[in-house]
Amino acid sequence: MVDKILAEYGAVVLDRNAKRLVVQVDDKQLRPLAEKLFESGFYYANGVGVDERGLGHDFAMYHVFASEKDKLYLVVKVSTSNLKLPSITPVIPGSNWAEREAMDMLGLEFEGHPEPERLILPDDWPKGVYPLRKEFDYNERPEFVERKPESTPQRTDVVQLPLGPYHPALHEPEYFEIHVDGEVITDAKYRGFHIHRGMEKLAEGRLTLNQVPFLAERICGICGFTHSIAYCQAVADAAGLDWPERAKYIGVILLEIERLHSHLLWVGVVFHLLGFDSGFMHMWRIREKVMDIAEALTGNRKTYGLVLIGGMRRDIDESRKNWVLKTLTELREETERVSKDIFGMKELINRIKGIGVLPKEDARALGVLGPVARASGIDTDVRRDHPYLAYDKLDFKVPVYPEGDVLARLLVRYDEIIESFRLLEQALSEMPQGDVMIEDYTIPSGRVGLGATEAPRGEDVHFVITGVESKVYRWHPRAPTYNNLPSVPIMLRGNNIADAPIIIASIDPCFSCTDHVAIVRKGKVIWKGPLGEGVKQVGR
Amino acid sequence: MMFKKSLWVFHLNSGSCNGCDIEVLNIFTPKQDVERLGIKLVGSPRHADAIAFTGPITRECLPKAIEAFMAVPEPKIVLAIGSCACGGGIWFDSYAVIGGIKEFYKILKEKHGIEPPTTIYIPGCPPKPEAIIYGVALARKAVEQKQKSEIFVEESDIDDAATLFKEATSTRHFIPKIEVIKRGE
Repeated sequence: MVDKILAEYGAVVLDRNAKRLVVQVDDKQLRPLAEKLFESGFYYANGVGVDERGLGHDFAMYHVFASEKDKLYLVVKVSTSNLKLPSITPVIPGSNWAEREAMDMLGLEFEGHPEPERLILPDDWPKGVYPLRKEFDYNERPEFVERKPESTPQRTDVVQLPLGPYHPALHEPEYFEIHVDGEVITDAKYRGFHIHRGMEKLAEGRLTLNQVPFLAERICGICGFTHSIAYCQAVADAAGLDWPERAKYIGVILLEIERLHSHLLWVGVVFHLLGFDSGFMHMWRIREKVMDIAEALTGNRKTYGLVLIGGMRRDIDESRKNWVLKTLTELREETERVSKDIFGMKELINRIKGIGVLPKEDARALGVLGPVARASGIDTDVRRDHPYLAYDKLDFKVPVYPEGDVLARLLVRYDEIIESFRLLEQALSEMPQGDVMIEDYTIPSGRVGLGATEAPRGEDVHFVITGVESKVYRWHPRAPTYNNLPSVPIMLRGNNIADAPIIIASIDPCFSCTDHVAIVRKGKVIWKGPLGEGVKQVGR
Repeated sequence: MMFKKSLWVFHLNSGSCNGCDIEVLNIFTPKQDVERLGIKLVGSPRHADAIAFTGPITRECLPKAIEAFMAVPEPKIVLAIGSCACGGGIWFDSYAVIGGIKEFYKILKEKHGIEPPTTIYIPGCPPKPEAIIYGVALARKAVEQKQKSEIFVEESDIDDAATLFKEATSTRHFIPKIEVIKRGE
């Protein structure tokens, strides 16, 4: 079916394999094609602007679409010689941020974008300096220009309540402006991107292909490993590499350990925000054992430093494996015992039931991912829909709840904790013998690769173009919070102000993942208009 | 300036990846439970004795970090938690960050005339919870600092070492002052 659509709009196939398809279309055909794809069930997965002058072309924009039904990632490339391209935001709202990134980082222009202002770099960044153009050095530091004062006018009809950028309920610097009428939230705005560290430029400028996994791991201190796996999958895809079986199983084991500690952490934080601190302490006490497992297997509690393009740097020996299996059994018993007590608390369940509802239609239009999508009745999971590593050989269930409230998000994550235990036990006991690393490979230059993994928060999509002399020409990661954040204003509207921290936390926001690419200028609203009726309210 | 009694800490994420933040939170949970030692996280810099930086301090965070720093009443100490806060970490020369706490002090000195306060460096990516507790214990003079700013090299290696340090100065923003001392002197 995809081929038929593509043929209709005159798309030229550049490269294809079982999991992904790269095509190029004429810029006039882009918007109708995007509209057609969206109608037939594709969602917007990633958007990458590339300065291709070093490859002998002009500037280009790569739009990545994904479909669970077709089990396919579709990369649509459009080139431009005069920096002008049509915007697809009017037909696919999810591309809004991606196009703005390209505007600010590369100086591309998108015709028909509902908000074509330059938004990305901080206020004190000079105009006309584009960090991702090849002539810009990664360590260049332009002079600070003067910051403009706050431009949003104060409203008199509502009370504007600031939350952040440094706030006890948020552990990362982000700013929410909440409009309240009495106790009820009428509106919310998000301003953020404080944690832009210039990662993509560093990867292009200073590091080699095999060093980038260590950088990718530092995108996020909670779900970093899944980023480095996604990067290595992308390069392996570009070069046509296949990891040894044992390395794939070790990858699964570490990814599930990461999911386990991330979900336990999240459940703890939610209890803390509800004022239920003993639940928080119990969850983090249990989590400490997961950290011990991570340390025993990798040598570090967080940044594992274990994956390279060719596979794993370290094997799991028999005695460690048995110790981990034994610890996992204890851990599972303890989790189930504590959770049984906690889910028996009616006051806790009633506190989070029916608040922060995200309806399924809004969820799909915004392209939300991971547990947030599954709690709104969308049956999606990269591990099942686009299998990677050894997930196609393992048995696991994908929990889906239709309610869309905070309780559903808690239940989805709890079920996933239990599934992670099952996956870990299977992977550890079924792990085949053999090598863990391939070292004899060459990486061709100028090839496009795509890697996707299911992070604890949703789908990570990494896009890579390989360069010469074992460098990355372009690398663009997209973290799940990037897609999930726009759903927060919809969840907040109509709820009580006291519920705001728990609703914000219920998507498990990870700002450091999201902010690696861009900084949004203070005083500007990030979304408004086209994201469905509810979000139309946001920018007013 | 050292604190003998309970230390109240304001934690400021200045562009960290979350790794250090989670480890900071981790020391307040049952395994370490540092509240029993009088260490407490506070919600406002005005209530704090110490300010803990995690992250390389991004350009966007800089003005807010300066404001929060100035809001902490004197006397204060700074905890630089993690490799990024100590020296910029993997991002030390990226366009989007200023590159760690020493660069931050430079800016404070130039723009506001503020002298750097006592600073405890806790490197690691992320530092283990035990290392953070050790850092706080140093601040409270509960333990002696063992690390010294001297290194020992063989007499025959002096030239090589000098070249190495020279190279390091050209690529890094700063390196600790290192004196080359001959063994046995």
